[in-house]
Amino acid sequence: MVSPRLRFAILVAKLASATSRLVGNKGETLPGRILLAIEPEAISLLAQNKEVILVSGTNGKTSTTRAVVSLISQLGPVTTSGSGSNLAWGAANALMSPAPYAVLEIDELHLPGIIAQTDPTIVLLLNLTRDQLHRMHEVKRVADRWHVECTEANETVFVADIDDPYINYAVVNAANVVRVTFGGRTHPDGAVCPRCGSYLTWWRGIYSCTCGLTNKEYDLKFKKGSAAYRNALLANVVGEIAGAQPVEFSESQLERIATKKIGDTTAQFRLTKNPASWTEALQGELQPEVILVLNARQVDGIDTSWLWDVSFKTLKGHTVIVCGERALDMAYRIHVEGIEATVVDTFDEAITKVQGGVVTVLSAYTAFFELVM
Amino acid sequence: MLEIIRIHNELLGTYGDRGNADVLKYRAALRKIPARVTEISYLDPVPKSGDIYLLGGAEDAAQILSLTALRKGSVLSRAANKGAVVLAICAGFQILGSRYVTRDEEIAGLGLLDVETTPGDRRLVGDIAVASKLFDQPLTGFENHSSVTTLGADALPFGKVLQGNGNGVAGVDGAIDKNVFGTYLHGPVLARNPEFADLLLERAVGSTLSAVNDELAMRYAMWRRALIK
Repeated sequence: MVSPRLRFAILVAKLASATSRLVGNKGETLPGRILLAIEPEAISLLAQNKEVILVSGTNGKTSTTRAVVSLISQLGPVTTSGSGSNLAWGAANALMSPAPYAVLEIDELHLPGIIAQTDPTIVLLLNLTRDQLHRMHEVKRVADRWHVECTEANETVFVADIDDPYINYAVVNAANVVRVTFGGRTHPDGAVCPRCGSYLTWWRGIYSCTCGLTNKEYDLKFKKGSAAYRNALLANVVGEIAGAQPVEFSESQLERIATKKIGDTTAQFRLTKNPASWTEALQGELQPEVILVLNARQVDGIDTSWLWDVSFKTLKGHTVIVCGERALDMAYRIHVEGIEATVVDTFDEAITKVQGGVVTVLSAYTAFFELVM
Repeated sequence: MLEIIRIHNELLGTYGDRGNADVLKYRAALRKIPARVTEISYLDPVPKSGDIYLLGGAEDAAQILSLTALRKGSVLSRAANKGAVVLAICAGFQILGSRYVTRDEEIAGLGLLDVETTPGDRRLVGDIAVASKLFDQPLTGFENHSSVTTLGADALPFGKVLQGNGNGVAGVDGAIDKNVFGTYLHGPVLARNPEFADLLLERAVGSTLSAVNDELAMRYAMWRRALIK
């Protein structure tokens, strides 16, 4: 039974959404904020009659959420949060839909609260590495919060990529877990056991600790592969638990990439936002000409120190153009690695420097949205 | 061969401080000074022969592991006593102090600097600028920590805080004692402030370095300085 206050809150939020769209906004944040302002319990009230599936992790949230949505759509209408609106108000906005299924991307710091409020059927935990440290502070701090909430959530099935020791620690005491391994991989921030603080023993991507935390013990094992491949399989594990038939995804469907024609140039954009995603992108295919776009706004992470934890040496031999609000941070970083770039202020200027027909653009979060969306 | 030792980067590498070693090697090469960066993991013994030792920022559990390992053999203290250069950032700086107090325990530090670190009541995050007597221009960086570091009678501050928090008390950042430098500046600090990199190289080599014109390094440093609030 929907309470009068919740019904009123939904009405006002939907009006706000319509108005916001009229003036050209995507209209996802404002209605959710209004809804929560009028009815602070809106998320838990709206989630009561839905099968809720949550997706979280440092990298791959948006594309994996899309994959889970397409799987769950086999079962019935699905509501989801739009790309990037992964805080509480984004969830609230999506839950206003009458659809019986909700598949939501949730920000790492918001995940424990949203689990507590929505009592989800399934939660998919992808990975935890360094990102936006001015806000997250430490990877371990995020993992500790997940660990507490996952331990409490007795009714939820967690699908966890335990090749990431932080994810394994998060679900180590959870009641229902599907522990997935891809045969192990290295972790850029995984030297210390997140559970007990001992030095983890690593061998070819397999870790074990004296406290017992290890990815040698698992429920499902797949072969090694790229982040996109792993996320496609993890989405299918979620689909299978929910009762959907498996779907084959191409790797490009699971990557934050986009192609755009700008004048005579085809720009192949790829989202790169932290050491793990930059490293993944730089090991992929790169055109002879590459544009690097670096910003440092709140969602990009306002500290650029992490650039020094990424090796850019695959750019050697390429023509590199650097732009964005923090172009000089990037230019000096790669300069010390022996790569000289042309530095310009804006992306529009950068694209005029491209000689060939196709260019790779590796882009910070805020720039990716401005340039592609 | 100038030996640059990067200590426990897998533990003390949370905030990009590994870049300090890369910048030192790069600016040494500009002067045709051969330099080598050696990575020392938690499981390796610390070499005695280092000219410059580097420690970076870390999460709490990693910091304690690193400190425990470095206490064995006291290699770092002996090298510093013989005049080796030590640059320690954030958690690394706290490790060098005489005492380090967490919410759970109190740990003796390596004692290279007469400072004590205690838990603070809030996280200190943001751009930081420091005026040091060692340099004509202010230094810039980024800080991200929650501890407060108090200087003892034998420690001199690295500099006066112009923007941000630094040690979180007394308006100063870091500490110095001869060739041992502690500071809260990430960035990495030597990438943001090439004159600091050159000072460390001079101390390690024992003579004045030739001037170099690395235009991009200067432009980057000047741009960050111009943004000091």
